[in-house]
Amino acid sequence: MSRRKYIIITAILAVLALASGLYFHAGTRTIVLEFGMFAGSNWDVANANSYVIIDKAIQLFEQKHKNVKIHYYSGILKDDYSEWLSKQVLLGKTPDVFMILSDDFNQFASLGILKSLDELIEKDASFDRDKYFKTALISGEYHGIQYALPYETVPTLMFVNKTLLEKEGIGVPSSDWTWDDLYDICQKVTKDIDGDGILDQFGIYNYDWLDAACTNGAALFDEDDMKIDLSDDKVVDAVKFIKMLYDLNNKQNVTQEDFDKGNVVFMPLSFAEYRTYKTYPYKIKKYLNFQWDCITFPAGKDGGNISEVNTLLMGISSKTAHEELAWEFLKLLTYDEEIQMDIFRYSQGASVLKKVTSSREAELILQEDMEESEKVIDKVLLSRVIEEGTVAPKILKYNEAIAIANGGIQEIIRYDKNVESSLKILERRINQYLKQ
Amino acid sequence: MQAKKFTYFKVLLIAINLIAVLFVTAFIYITTQKICNNFIAREFLGSVSALPWKPYVNIYLSVGLFGILILTFIVREFIYPNNGRIVYLTLLIDFILSIVIVSVLNFNYNGILFLVIANIIAYTKGTRGKYVLMFISVLSIVITDYEMLSINFRLYSINDYISFYDAMTQQYLLGFYNIVVSTNILIFIVYCIYVIQNQRGTIDEVNSLYEQLRKANEDLQKANEQLKEYSRLMEKMGETKERNRLAREIHDTIGHTLTGISAGIDACITMVEKNPQETKKQLEMISKVTREGINEIRRSVNKLRPDALERLNLESAIHQMIIETELMTNTHVYFETDVNLHFAPDEEDAIYRVIQESLTNAIRHGKASQIWVNIKSGEGEIILTVRDNGIGCKDMKKGFGTRHIMERIKMLNGTVEFDGTNGFTVTARIPIRWGEEYD
Repeated sequence: MSRRKYIIITAILAVLALASGLYFHAGTRTIVLEFGMFAGSNWDVANANSYVIIDKAIQLFEQKHKNVKIHYYSGILKDDYSEWLSKQVLLGKTPDVFMILSDDFNQFASLGILKSLDELIEKDASFDRDKYFKTALISGEYHGIQYALPYETVPTLMFVNKTLLEKEGIGVPSSDWTWDDLYDICQKVTKDIDGDGILDQFGIYNYDWLDAACTNGAALFDEDDMKIDLSDDKVVDAVKFIKMLYDLNNKQNVTQEDFDKGNVVFMPLSFAEYRTYKTYPYKIKKYLNFQWDCITFPAGKDGGNISEVNTLLMGISSKTAHEELAWEFLKLLTYDEEIQMDIFRYSQGASVLKKVTSSREAELILQEDMEESEKVIDKVLLSRVIEEGTVAPKILKYNEAIAIANGGIQEIIRYDKNVESSLKILERRINQYLKQ
Repeated sequence: MQAKKFTYFKVLLIAINLIAVLFVTAFIYITTQKICNNFIAREFLGSVSALPWKPYVNIYLSVGLFGILILTFIVREFIYPNNGRIVYLTLLIDFILSIVIVSVLNFNYNGILFLVIANIIAYTKGTRGKYVLMFISVLSIVITDYEMLSINFRLYSINDYISFYDAMTQQYLLGFYNIVVSTNILIFIVYCIYVIQNQRGTIDEVNSLYEQLRKANEDLQKANEQLKEYSRLMEKMGETKERNRLAREIHDTIGHTLTGISAGIDACITMVEKNPQETKKQLEMISKVTREGINEIRRSVNKLRPDALERLNLESAIHQMIIETELMTNTHVYFETDVNLHFAPDEEDAIYRVIQESLTNAIRHGKASQIWVNIKSGEGEIILTVRDNGIGCKDMKKGFGTRHIMERIKMLNGTVEFDGTNGFTVTARIPIRWGEEYD
């Protein structure tokens, strides 16, 4: 055999040895899965237990996958999270699995930062979309593609000052009440108690045209055409209704202080706030001097008793190197009933799984934290509010468009402009902005 | 000298493209760092439509790929400049690499394809492959246009990163970037003009060379005709000379002898009755003169014989011819005979000439490497065969040197056969007048 042949054979053997070595090494090497999360609550309420659920999930996951470690940076506050995550994305260090703030979702999905989950969902026989609340799942959809899964959801409820209603001799409205009922109550309770000529008791605070439009069945945005529709009768009626309520207050501004003092009957409140302020220790800080409860939003003549549902989403990086593991972990956080039950235990929102939220166990956990005299929110009502709620439309400039609309509509109401024509002008202005 | 200038151009193109690629990737990386340090990452995300996957990997990747591009350039330019297969292979690799680099850069810069086209122009001369490659490259320049692609695909844009800076810096950056892009195109255009000029120069050179060649050809033709004329003249002169020689020989020998004989016989006629004794003496003298005349004629005929035959006997002459043939050509000649080769001069002549002609034919037309010459005796005749292992002659045509042979054999009342199917075989049967010696 020639010398050349020896060299070639040695080289081939060396390459084979190296390749097999690398292969076996890769098999036993620890895979690190990056997880992006923020500390504290997504619902702007205090939360001391933000890492409990995640730590538990990580422990479960690492037990199942011995060679996988999940790493996350602790201590990133919600306010800083968007910037932190954007920085990671820019630097090419996007975590494999991460929480997505609702303000970021549209942007991230449109930039291709998020992995489309449709294929993973199709492949996974154990996964059933129908187990999620419809609204929660839709929150993670962008232009018909599922880019994120819901982790925790929070519907908006209507806070009711029971003490004040009782004083005025009015009963707590039923869950299918209407605008007319709301207007009646507001009209009745809006008065000057101490006789100084200034109103000091009000019907409602912080209820805006968007809430009203949503309960009147208005579809504000056309997601495909990137257009807002403000000239629809349903929207016009909603704005007119808000104007009527505003007019009751005699141009006086209702403030959070009025509400905290117990001088306002109604206020929209998130389910997270409800849970936080109903339980010790926060309940002693706020709303101590009156009894309160939560009910649904009043229905307009063309809509139902629905309200906006906010959902905390989690997604997978489109460039993840560990697609299967990332999917398993995402599923564990969002689809596992045990972990989802922990949302009731350690967080302030509700589970995104229908079965968990409507379970007796969830109800018991909610009850556990409350005084015996307090009535827990009905699990059927909670499920209904979540399932039937509305979700912010998937439009890139949604927040900006709504900000313009808010400003314009406030002007219409304050300066008593013609509602129909002013809304048309406003609609044109916003559509021009959206087209840019 | 020309090739060296082309190489300078190509090196310049490579350098400018490397600068462009480095600028795009490094600039994006540095700007990304700045954006992050200024805490406007989220805001920036809101203003772009796509992002590079990993800015630092893009630098390594594109520069690494560019390194391979330089490597193929060196291989093509300096190591195997004349190997067509390697040139095409490296051009193909270059094309693929450029497309990959351009897509790594998200089509923000596609000038690198000009480099590929420049190489294609330089290396593929006038072949069909050239036009195919050119077409594909030009098409890819059109296709990889950022503005067009960004309509349908999510691509990051260097302009988004440039807009991070204040207006003044933006102008400088855009200015620099545009200068790099235009310089690349400018060098490419100058290069193309240069190539075209150079090709025109080559065409002129080819034309003048062709003209020279045509002239030389003409001269050659003329010389050839003169030579033919000269050879015809020479032949004629040779013939005349030979005739004169023959005439002189006949005159000197036969004429002289016959004159003597005729005078002697006349004397005998007048003398025979008066003096028969004297007449007898006279006749004896005539006989002697006649014999001498015959000898004289033989000597003359001998003078007219081929060189070797003149000096040697037939067998030695044949051997001599074979040795000379083997010496002069790369052919083996095997000679075999069972006959005592001693014949009349005309017969010897014919045999010698037939063998000589056949050897010449076998070597010249048959390209034979081995020839067998055989002379056997038959009934009142000899059989001469000359066989070779050459290419033979499927379609027998007279005049391939065979006419002479036939004529010579016919003169001796012999027959000759030619067979060109397996090599070439000449079989001649010559009737021999054994014993008919002159003396």
